[in-house]
Amino acid sequence: MTPQTSPGMTQDFMMTETDPQTVKSPEVALAVRNLNFYYGENHALHDISVNFPARRVTAMIGPSGCGKSTLLRIFNRMYDLYPGQRATGEVMFDGRNILDHDLDLNILRARVGMVFQKPTPFPMSIYDNIAFGVRLHEKLNKADMDARVQDVLTRVALWNEVRDRLNAPAAGLSGGQQQRLCIARSIATRPEVLLLDEPTSALDPISTARIEELLDELKEEFTIAIVTHNMQQAARCADQVAFFYMGRLIEVDSADRMFTNPKQQQTQDYITGRFG
Amino acid sequence: MSDTAVSSTGWKPNPRAARRRSADHLATAFGMVMAGILVLVLASILWTLLSRGLAGLSAATIMKPMGPPGSSSGLANAIMGSLIQTFIALLMATPLGLGCGIYLSEYGSDTNKFASCVRFVSDVLMSVPSILVGLFVYQVMVAPFGHFSALAGSVALAILAVPIIVRTTEDMLRLVPTAMREAGAALGATRWRVTLSLCLRSAKTGVLTGILLALARVSGETAPLLFTSLGNQNWSFSLNRPMASLPVTIYQYAGASYEDWVQLAWAGALLVTMGVLAINIAVRVSARRG
Repeated sequence: MTPQTSPGMTQDFMMTETDPQTVKSPEVALAVRNLNFYYGENHALHDISVNFPARRVTAMIGPSGCGKSTLLRIFNRMYDLYPGQRATGEVMFDGRNILDHDLDLNILRARVGMVFQKPTPFPMSIYDNIAFGVRLHEKLNKADMDARVQDVLTRVALWNEVRDRLNAPAAGLSGGQQQRLCIARSIATRPEVLLLDEPTSALDPISTARIEELLDELKEEFTIAIVTHNMQQAARCADQVAFFYMGRLIEVDSADRMFTNPKQQQTQDYITGRFG
Repeated sequence: MSDTAVSSTGWKPNPRAARRRSADHLATAFGMVMAGILVLVLASILWTLLSRGLAGLSAATIMKPMGPPGSSSGLANAIMGSLIQTFIALLMATPLGLGCGIYLSEYGSDTNKFASCVRFVSDVLMSVPSILVGLFVYQVMVAPFGHFSALAGSVALAILAVPIIVRTTEDMLRLVPTAMREAGAALGATRWRVTLSLCLRSAKTGVLTGILLALARVSGETAPLLFTSLGNQNWSFSLNRPMASLPVTIYQYAGASYEDWVQLAWAGALLVTMGVLAINIAVRVSARRG
């Protein structure tokens, strides 16, 4: 799968190309600088600095507990739900540090959507699952809402499967359909960034493949950050890959170089399955 | 050419295994006998109620109000009084219990001192003897005004219903996965919107079940009504005056020396039991549908 490279060779590249902006992109959607995160006393992320290029897929990989999900949950301030969790440093998004205390979280979360590991359909109809988020931020008439629902369901390739039962409870869908519904729900509020926390780990291979195809289409419009445990998935979907270990960012590079020619020994060991 | 496993002594009878097996049988039998006794107790109560109560149950029992002995009277005013008082009690207890349960589940984390205090008080309230609640309401709502009232009865019943609603609401909301709350918050919904539109909606069957359980619990209560709504021989629809109720009527009539009153007491007991049974069946049906 991933070609092995000799550690000596990666050392050479390290000197020349270890700056965070290895992926050439006109814009940076999220710029993380000197970010630290604490779960109470536990220092979970150490001095992270990394750029998320706009309209690209950035995959975050690393063993369990390495901090990749923690980083993802900073981007929509999900940690605010839990007392005792705090972040220091800077995450610049559209000219503002989203860690600012006076930031309007509801607006941030409308602009930064999130899809979770397990599909979480709301206890309502398929239609209302989509409309719920939209209604929080926009006042649409029935026709516009219908159009929005059809648009996002079409984009996640769910429209043909559910068009006749939009008023049926969303809980009746299969796991893969539910996850596509959750993605549709997230993009219905028209965010700029989409965060995906292991979105396919609870799904079968066919549903996984469909969601990966979907990511490829979505990245034309959204900046995507995906946490995954699946190396192949990262290699298939991502433009940029960031490897985390023990709360530190070890290496970030284009997906091609990361999987063929990583600069760090730890990255090499992880992606070839020697630890993790 | 036998390539079967090497024979050993592993299969020979083992006294320890036999002893364990018979202990197991004994424990099973013990459990079954105890369960049987419980069912027998309940069945014999129902049987007594049915055999004694059915005789007194007629159209007149439900249509006619209470009256003097020998006047072929009924229980209509007591039935109506019970319905009115429990309905008003639920009207008061439901918003209080729901609000408190929502607070405990969604806002009062386990480390919150005030929330643990509320939780403890609510649990204590659940086990307070109902006659104490009756005496308390008598002190604050009857004695100062100098007369018994249906409203005081309803308040006493509401006090008994609240902790049940609090406990079930909190428990049911806690069963809603954290992922649901996070998914709602991730769309930019406020906490209150998440609680109302997502959590409460997912838990609605369970919450409704709690309200019905509270209804079943208070609809047979007698002690809290004795010092509050007192009872009434006649029709009364005023909340400011004494009002009849089935449990209090049963209490008054069952010990009377008039044959027809005793008969009516049995019929009333049967009505209360059937009502509670119906509520419990409704709970089961609603729980299954959820």
